[in-house]
Amino acid sequence: MRVLCCDDDFETWRSQARTLLAEGLPPHDVVWEDENRPQLFAAQASPACRANAPVTRVPAELVEQLRCAAQCRMPGRWNLLYRILWRVTRGEREAMLAGDPDGSELHRRIKTASREAHHLHAFVRLHPVHDAPDLDYIAWYEPAHDILAGSSMHFAERLGRQRWLIATPQDAVWYDGAQLEYRRPCPEAWRARAQALSGGADRLWETYYASIFNPARLNRKTMQGHMPLRFWKGLTEGKLIPVLLSEARAGSQKDGQAEGVRGKAGKAIRLARQRVVRDS
Amino acid sequence: MELIEKLTILADAAKYDASCASSGAPKRSSRGKDGIGATNGMGICHSYTPDGRCVSLLKILLTNFCLYDCQYCVNRRSSDVPRARFLPEEVIKLTLDFYQRNYVSGLFLSSGIIQSPDYTMEQLIQVARVLRKDHQFRGYIHLKTIPEADPALIAEAGRYADRLSVNIELPSPDSLIRLAPEKQIGSITGAMGTIDNASNESRADKRAPRFAPGGQSTQMIVGADASDDSRILRTAEALYGDYRLRRVYYSAFSPIPNSPTSVPFQAPPLLREHRLYQADFLLRSYGFKADELIGNTGNLPLDIDPKLAWALVNRAQFPVDLNRAEPAMIARVPGIGIRTAQRIVSLRRLKRIRFEDLLRMRCVIDKARPFVVTSDYRPQQDTTESSSLRMQLSDQPAQMALWA
Repeated sequence: MRVLCCDDDFETWRSQARTLLAEGLPPHDVVWEDENRPQLFAAQASPACRANAPVTRVPAELVEQLRCAAQCRMPGRWNLLYRILWRVTRGEREAMLAGDPDGSELHRRIKTASREAHHLHAFVRLHPVHDAPDLDYIAWYEPAHDILAGSSMHFAERLGRQRWLIATPQDAVWYDGAQLEYRRPCPEAWRARAQALSGGADRLWETYYASIFNPARLNRKTMQGHMPLRFWKGLTEGKLIPVLLSEARAGSQKDGQAEGVRGKAGKAIRLARQRVVRDS
Repeated sequence: MELIEKLTILADAAKYDASCASSGAPKRSSRGKDGIGATNGMGICHSYTPDGRCVSLLKILLTNFCLYDCQYCVNRRSSDVPRARFLPEEVIKLTLDFYQRNYVSGLFLSSGIIQSPDYTMEQLIQVARVLRKDHQFRGYIHLKTIPEADPALIAEAGRYADRLSVNIELPSPDSLIRLAPEKQIGSITGAMGTIDNASNESRADKRAPRFAPGGQSTQMIVGADASDDSRILRTAEALYGDYRLRRVYYSAFSPIPNSPTSVPFQAPPLLREHRLYQADFLLRSYGFKADELIGNTGNLPLDIDPKLAWALVNRAQFPVDLNRAEPAMIARVPGIGIRTAQRIVSLRRLKRIRFEDLLRMRCVIDKARPFVVTSDYRPQQDTTESSSLRMQLSDQPAQMALWA
């Protein structure tokens, strides 16, 4: 049994896998150590990359699929990928397809990773940094999978030349208006700056959120299905959610009006040629 | 009036518009450029409110002062709601600020009718123009179109907006006359035609400026009048055909404060709205016709989804052999969606489809089971009465709990 460690880095795993394929080592004879759950036997040094190892041709699509699935922090992630790679190189193309047991797991992980990337794009909250020479926006975010490196250029497309930092418990990205710097692990100073500003209130956004909510349509289940509880604490509007839920249940769901509007003085409009009933 | 108070009132006034979509825009990026904003065609929901609805855009009215007296609308002139009006620069500042903090992907701006339809439309256009030209904003913009406005203004709106929408409001012209006395079906469909033509012209000439690349949508209120689902779906089908609408939104009528007696004051029919969206999806993406989906009662069943309902009255077309059937027919099987149908077709090029493959592809297996044949499976329920299948497969009544 060969025990390997790739530091949960795809490129490291890829070069290890390439060498193992060249050696003809089958998947049941190798195990990759999970960072958080070390194997009984310590990992051995990576096999030396043999310069003369025959290059194994695999579909380019497969490499991208493996790269994407590798972002999922799930037990045995590198072993699954090697097994699929092994099978495809031996002519079992169905190992890539959703109808196959391994392929099905591959596609499940690809879906999980792309959902988590989408969550990042949706739920990151960027806080303006005032009076700093090096940054305009900063965020602290806790993803469930390793999607930050592959998904954060999205914010450069959104924000043009603005400078921003997104820090997570595992890693971080800093965009200086032109270049993206990825760091794993997240530098302590970056983490401290991001956490100092996260959780800040924003009265305008909270006002908007409370007002656009329609209490007559209260539907916690659907909300939570789309925006699971684990995200709430990172959201500016997160602490409002339980308040709005309980207000709506306590009776304000009889019509659609927001609590903030109820009780304000109203005004019916009079046309130039016509008096309107209930004018006040 | 303070900005925060205006926002309270004018977001509350905008919530009855169901759409918050930021999809369908062309790919735009601000990377390495002045200005901000990007679109990629997909759209992002940045939050969800406790009603389960997506928050994708800053959705507000420029003002809720309104000269019209539409009975179903909280902002009708005879309603005594608090009134407010944003300055264009206030909307612009809010949009840019919310965008940069990653709360939204753009703006959906609508307005009550003030002074005149043309004046109101000009105000909406001004906000979009300043965002695009002065701030080089490349995020999503959806502008509500005032049907009676000058076609030249609609043409201008389409140069800045990704999406335009004109609300059809009610499923029948009679209801419109009764509940929205100042609106006319002719001007509503006229504006839809103006948008469709402008969009055709822009596509035909590659050098022409782009016109509302995200297309147009509309909204129909469900449950404010007595129209049945048949009427609603046929109206939607006609709109999709005549004006190539990207989406028809259905908005279950929510009771409004100080409700006039001409509209109901009861819980919004959320389950009915849900079934209409399901049926609408079958119209748009599965090639169903409204006629096929509506039974003789005129309404969609509430206890089962419309595809299952269709399958139960068309048992002669089932079971479907997944190893032989046309892809379009596979997608008509309850519990199997378009994407799964595509997966089945690519898998069967390599091997025979077995029942366990369906489990792996995450079909809704209970719904699919009575309607499919695989290489190792034939449904025993093949001969079960549709009525008893329906009993087994109906959803739990969820509607009651919402109001309890």
